[in-house]
Amino acid sequence: MPMKGRFPIRRTLEYLQKGDIVFKNRVKIMTVNYNTHGELSEGARKFVFFNIPQIQYKNQWVQVMMFKNMTPSPFLKFYLDDGEQVLVDVEGKDHKHISDHVRKILGKTEEVLQAEAQAKMQESNPANFGPRKYCLRECICEVDGQVPCPGTTALPKEMTGKYRTKMAAAQE
Amino acid sequence: MFQVIGGRSVQAARVLAPRSAVLVEAVRGRKSRTDPVAKSKVGRIKVPPPVDPVEMVVLKERYGEYQMIMRALRLEFKEEMLRKRYEEDTGSLAEERARQEAQEHRVLMDLNHLENQRMLKLRIVRVQMEKEEADRKKFEVILQREQEQQEIVKEKEKEILKLQEAAKNFITLENLDQRIEEALDNPKNYNFAIDKQGKVVKQTMLQ
Repeated sequence: MPMKGRFPIRRTLEYLQKGDIVFKNRVKIMTVNYNTHGELSEGARKFVFFNIPQIQYKNQWVQVMMFKNMTPSPFLKFYLDDGEQVLVDVEGKDHKHISDHVRKILGKTEEVLQAEAQAKMQESNPANFGPRKYCLRECICEVDGQVPCPGTTALPKEMTGKYRTKMAAAQE
Repeated sequence: MFQVIGGRSVQAARVLAPRSAVLVEAVRGRKSRTDPVAKSKVGRIKVPPPVDPVEMVVLKERYGEYQMIMRALRLEFKEEMLRKRYEEDTGSLAEERARQEAQEHRVLMDLNHLENQRMLKLRIVRVQMEKEEADRKKFEVILQREQEQQEIVKEKEKEILKLQEAAKNFITLENLDQRIEEALDNPKNYNFAIDKQGKVVKQTMLQ
């Protein structure tokens, strides 16, 4: 089955996961105003074409809106939690520069991202047993090579408590 | 006998031991109150299991201690979690962190502002240059147009002069007779001969 669109690589998971702009928790809305024609909007157009899917994939709870041909010069606007608006002028810039600039001013830094990943790993310790929602396994009987669940198959006589007590009593 | 179960525990029972198609957990009292007692149970006196008082005391004490310890541990852990959460949300460290973040944010916003200012300057310069370019072009076009106009005027003047020159040789009513006399006196021969090599011969015989 042929792929759809001009640069179908933009729709692959690998490409989307490579995106490195993760916004801080304060950013709620992102708006891009650009023009469909003109040399100065070229960088903004490329940014919208190539980088916006990655950004939206990594920030699923941020609203991203695009407005075309409403402005004489292209710009980005971010609306934060506390009502603050951040304006970024992108006239004549390259899409790589735009994405670097955005990551510098409003993106989570590498260290923060790594710390978050570590915290998540620590929360989910694979050695824990418990409800499915929080842990991998609920009981040791689920692991290959361990004694199967006595609820489904009967334990061998020697391992049952009543046999053992009977043997202990008989010995005394 | 067995407890009556309903609702979620039914589902649990179904999951745990779904051997038979029909889910039958023993429901208390198959017999109603009017049914007679079974033959095998006629003289039965139900006796609760014997309780050893000494053992009971010891067990009670031990169980009490055990349950107290377990409850204390559980509450301890709960409290620890709550305190951690509280510290994270509204502790001194959190305030410090918030302040730090606010400061960093300010710095980054200033950076962005500077960048915007720089772009603004560049844009102003560019717009200025474009405006000048447009003005110059307009000026040039106007000049061009004027030049063309002037050239046309010059051409027209030249033609007028030429015409004036030619007008000197026009035949008017005054010199009509004179010109007729002249024409009759000087017969003009328009005939000419040309050979294959292109040599033009104007001297021919007048007839």
